[in-house]
Amino acid sequence: MIEETRAQETYEVLREAKRALDEESKLLAKVYNEPAIFEMEAQKIFQKTWIFLAHESEIPWPGDYVLRRIIDDSCIVARDEDGQIHVLFNMCRHRGMQLCRSDAGNASHFRCPYHGYTYKNTGKLNGVPFQKEAYGPEGLDKDEWAMTPAPRVEIYEGMIFASLDPGVQPLEEHIGDMGWYLDFYLKKSPAGMEVVGPPQRWVMHADWKLASENFIGDGYHTQSTHMSTIKAGIMRVKSPAYLKDGVQILAGSHGCLFMGFKPGSYFNYPQSIVDTMKESLNGAQVALIEENSVLPLNATIFPNMSLLHSSMSIEPGGRSVPYVTLRVWQPMGPGKMEVWSWCLVEKDAPEDFKRASNRSYLSTFGASGTLEQDDAENWSGTTRVAAGAMSGSHYLNYSAGAGQVDPIPEDEWAGPGTAYPKNYIDFAQRHFWQTYFDHLMA
Amino acid sequence: MMIETSLETYWEVYSFLMREAELLDERREREWLESCITEDVEYLMPVRENRERSEGAGFSDESFYFQETHGSLELRVRRLETEYAWAEDPPSRTRHFVTNVRVAEGDEDGEVAVKSNLLLYRSRGSEPTADILSAERRDVLRKQEDGWRLRKREILLDHSVVMTHNLSVFF
Repeated sequence: MIEETRAQETYEVLREAKRALDEESKLLAKVYNEPAIFEMEAQKIFQKTWIFLAHESEIPWPGDYVLRRIIDDSCIVARDEDGQIHVLFNMCRHRGMQLCRSDAGNASHFRCPYHGYTYKNTGKLNGVPFQKEAYGPEGLDKDEWAMTPAPRVEIYEGMIFASLDPGVQPLEEHIGDMGWYLDFYLKKSPAGMEVVGPPQRWVMHADWKLASENFIGDGYHTQSTHMSTIKAGIMRVKSPAYLKDGVQILAGSHGCLFMGFKPGSYFNYPQSIVDTMKESLNGAQVALIEENSVLPLNATIFPNMSLLHSSMSIEPGGRSVPYVTLRVWQPMGPGKMEVWSWCLVEKDAPEDFKRASNRSYLSTFGASGTLEQDDAENWSGTTRVAAGAMSGSHYLNYSAGAGQVDPIPEDEWAGPGTAYPKNYIDFAQRHFWQTYFDHLMA
Repeated sequence: MMIETSLETYWEVYSFLMREAELLDERREREWLESCITEDVEYLMPVRENRERSEGAGFSDESFYFQETHGSLELRVRRLETEYAWAEDPPSRTRHFVTNVRVAEGDEDGEVAVKSNLLLYRSRGSEPTADILSAERRDVLRKQEDGWRLRKREILLDHSVVMTHNLSVFF
């Protein structure tokens, strides 16, 4: 009864929060740190939609595997001897022991330490010690007692996603219009992307949604949060005023933010990548870059995967070096997440560029990054003060651009979705929250 | 590795490590950079994975939390000197506990190879809990005209998931 009342109360709080967002462009601060809301997110978002787990290049060879999670569900992402990728629930079918206990490796089989059940990396049950003594002359039905696969697994441009909902829409549909924009991150070469080593991982006492909504379109925070890097000559812009121009994109459940570069500079990508980019992207995509001198910087794929495309200086007075980082904001509970952060580079990029790009990334993003350090400070601070009672009636302003800025007419913007011709606006952030409430109230 | 150098060298190296820890705990990063670090320094903290025993300690040779040169350390220090480095303003209260110091001859003349254990205590704001990071440091020190300096540091974390919200302090 108490449980039911609590669920009903949470639902009422969310309904009012959704109304306030839709009608008044404001957000109830409580959503950033509330156990009952977190439980609903786990059920209605993380068990229902597509969740990014790994990049194919992390497991290039037969037998390679990495260990990943969807909140508390541990999954082995393995490539079998035939090259097929499997996502397997990491729990033995006998007494439930965690089968695989290392972050990554290469194994044709997973052997349970408890009683010795052994499974192939396809999930098939392969060996049961003293089978006849334990289960009779016929032994066990090995098909019935295979490892449990994730209900759905699909791959988009090398990115492996899983869903716990067998009825989820195809991944291609989930990505939808956003695919056109993901190409700028993932298809600058026909060779595709690869990760630079294993991900950085660190724990932040901060809500995952703060990161997702920041990456979907928050260009506004840069002039304040990241001012130190402008002053120190890490972010090579002449003045913070430079940052005010951009284009915010809403595409499906997702979004991104385009920013300008000096015409002809292409974020300082080496000529070989500028060349392959022009071959690999389609005509409309190339024209968009060439005519406007813009590339997408930050993007979020709902709910908790983000990308960043940036270019920063590594040495005093040095040229900016571009990079792409992929990250997952993995919820660990109300107000707490583990961040997973990878650097991606074009597989056929020059080796010295790969090294420089990775250094540019880790100097500025990741746990020690001179920009991300300050994001972590902000997101932890918001989460901390959202824990109390007053955040239950404290509303936050999400109105930038509302009623003031119109979308770019369709015939003036080549990409799909909706494009807004500004940077310091909240359209993409409101879109994130509308998508979020739609999931929770469904 | 045991103590393989003269007592005098050991004592100089030990004093260097103590002075360095003091500078860092007193937020004197500029002084640390200018008086303790060589121009050709390599300052590394590799990502560590939890791997099976047969595969070694799990340190990556591709992924790093820090992969610094003197120039990139300079940019990090410059950033701390602005008024906008929110991650360290108000600053963390840190304490570098440096123990188990072992010193051997280095590969080059005038250099020594130093191993030490580091426990870094970090407390921020009015949080009731503090973050503690544990690591082994493998250093190469070079004796210059003005004394010992850090030529190379590998910070080998005892964590596969870093249990602090950012790495805004030096190790």
